[in-house]
Amino acid sequence: MNLHYLMNELYYQKRRTITAIIGLSIGIALLIILNSLSMAYRQAAQVPLKEIGADITVQRPGDVPKELSGAVFPCSAVTISDEELKKIQPLPGVRGLGKAVLLWVFDPNRAWIVLGIEQQNPVGPSILRHSVTEGRFLEEGKVEALVEVAYARQFNLKIGDTITIANTTFPVVGLVDASRAAKIAVANVYLPLAEAQKLAASSSQLQSVSPFGPNDVNLLFIKADQEKITWLASALKDILGKKATIGTPDSFLKLLGSLFALSDKFNLAASIIAIFVAVLIAFKTMAGNIAERAREIGVLKAVGWTNRNVVTQLLAESVVQCFIAGILGLVIAAIAAFALSFMKVNIPIPWDMSPTPHFLPGGGDQIFKTLRLPVHIPWTLATFATLLSVLIGGLTGGLLGRNISKIKPSEVLRHE
Amino acid sequence: MNNGTILSGTNLSKKYGDLEVVKHVTISINAGEFVCLVGKSGCGKTTLLSLLSGLERPTSGQVKLDDTDITSATEDQLALFRRENVGFIFQSFNLIPTLTAWENVALPLFPIKMSGDERHRRATELLEKMELGHRMDHLPAALSGGEKQRVAIARALVNNPKVLFADEPTGNLDSSTGDAIMEILTKLHTEKGVAILMVTHEVELAKTAQRLIRMHDGEVVA
Repeated sequence: MNLHYLMNELYYQKRRTITAIIGLSIGIALLIILNSLSMAYRQAAQVPLKEIGADITVQRPGDVPKELSGAVFPCSAVTISDEELKKIQPLPGVRGLGKAVLLWVFDPNRAWIVLGIEQQNPVGPSILRHSVTEGRFLEEGKVEALVEVAYARQFNLKIGDTITIANTTFPVVGLVDASRAAKIAVANVYLPLAEAQKLAASSSQLQSVSPFGPNDVNLLFIKADQEKITWLASALKDILGKKATIGTPDSFLKLLGSLFALSDKFNLAASIIAIFVAVLIAFKTMAGNIAERAREIGVLKAVGWTNRNVVTQLLAESVVQCFIAGILGLVIAAIAAFALSFMKVNIPIPWDMSPTPHFLPGGGDQIFKTLRLPVHIPWTLATFATLLSVLIGGLTGGLLGRNISKIKPSEVLRHE
Repeated sequence: MNNGTILSGTNLSKKYGDLEVVKHVTISINAGEFVCLVGKSGCGKTTLLSLLSGLERPTSGQVKLDDTDITSATEDQLALFRRENVGFIFQSFNLIPTLTAWENVALPLFPIKMSGDERHRRATELLEKMELGHRMDHLPAALSGGEKQRVAIARALVNNPKVLFADEPTGNLDSSTGDAIMEILTKLHTEKGVAILMVTHEVELAKTAQRLIRMHDGEVVA
């Protein structure tokens, strides 16, 4: 193989070199960007759950009491019993469990959405400790409340005030900006889990439709092994019943509704089509190129180049050309990924996961988690795409070179 | 094979389907001899040259170079045979358009393991002999017809061939350039002692050769 000859061929035959490189690079860029987009949507779909420190959320829908007074459960989250919790905890793949109690409390003068949280558990709503804007977060063993900053503003609540929820008084120790945190399980007031459990257990309205024990909860947040999430979702339904609402990255992906997010099969098919078209373009251009060079190949053979010499030269040309195309495809994809990373994606949060009574202000509004699409090209994909383009070059050059090297010099050099 | 004979073809025939273009030709060329193959267009001259140079296989008969039978050689063996023993000069030069003059001359040496400097030295030496030292880095498109043919001659000589095959070497040149090329070939023959088999249909050119072989309808007639 003569490198100088190779470079001259690519340099002086600019038009065909550029056509082949651009054709293949677009295919490679498409492959990279389709897969990067798919990964970005998958990553985006994980954000609402990640923000609450979990991989899975668990709820069980049920009935609402006929009369809405005192503490009640929203219809999307009724009792998950202590016995059920004990079955869930040891499931394979469960790395952490966060518990919470979400209540609607209808007092004579005010309605509250109350969330009882485990203050020290990193899995679940205690992640709110990073969103405290004033005062402090809830401390272990204390009976106190954290108020959502917008709610506090609306009802003129300040740190040091006391609030009375279902006849129990709580001092306000901090304000929290829930809009900066997860959109799941958003409440007006955050209490220690034990206090919320007491409110629930002592509510006759609530007990009438959904019996609740002192250690029961109605929201679960599970940190899980990524590869076990699908299996766990199914195991949880076995324990809690088919009607249980299991929130996973996949369920959020489905909510996104994007074509890229919808199906791995679509992504695979689109990638295969992109590569097929790229290979076709590369093959067609190189086949045309080699056919044009039949006489040149004849000269090479006449002056003593063996078939192997000819194939090696053409294969090297093709590999170098396709390698350049691969790098260009990577650059195009990187530019496209950068541009796409400015795109915003709205992930709808189902009402079930952040239930607000419809008759309260904003109660019927769809909540979205808005974020920039995290499009980036992983090095594994970049390496794969580059190697693929080299492989395409090798196969194309090898096949075409082998074919053309069989020509007889006398046939192509004959009469001039 | 007679003493001094470097190339011989015995009872050579070549058929394309039912058409026999070379018919039972027996021919020999001595070392250092300048032989001209003449005849009308389509009489089989170029085919005979292809058979003798190993570019094509005969349908029947035998070709020997330096007592080596090349008739049964494989494609790659034939390529190596051509690389080591023969040089070609074509009517339309057949230079590689993307290679410079010196690279075209060095083309037969590319597959051979040798240093780039040695390759360059050999090509440069030959180009200078062809009075093209100043055109070494030019692409064929920038050369005149005569210059192209001189580059082609240098390429044919770069592997120190025993026999030079020239197929209508002046066919694409004007008469004065053609004369200059013939002068170079004659000089090569007389000074270097290279055996030359030249195909032409121009009788005047053929007169420069030591021996004339006439072909008609695929047969050697004189």
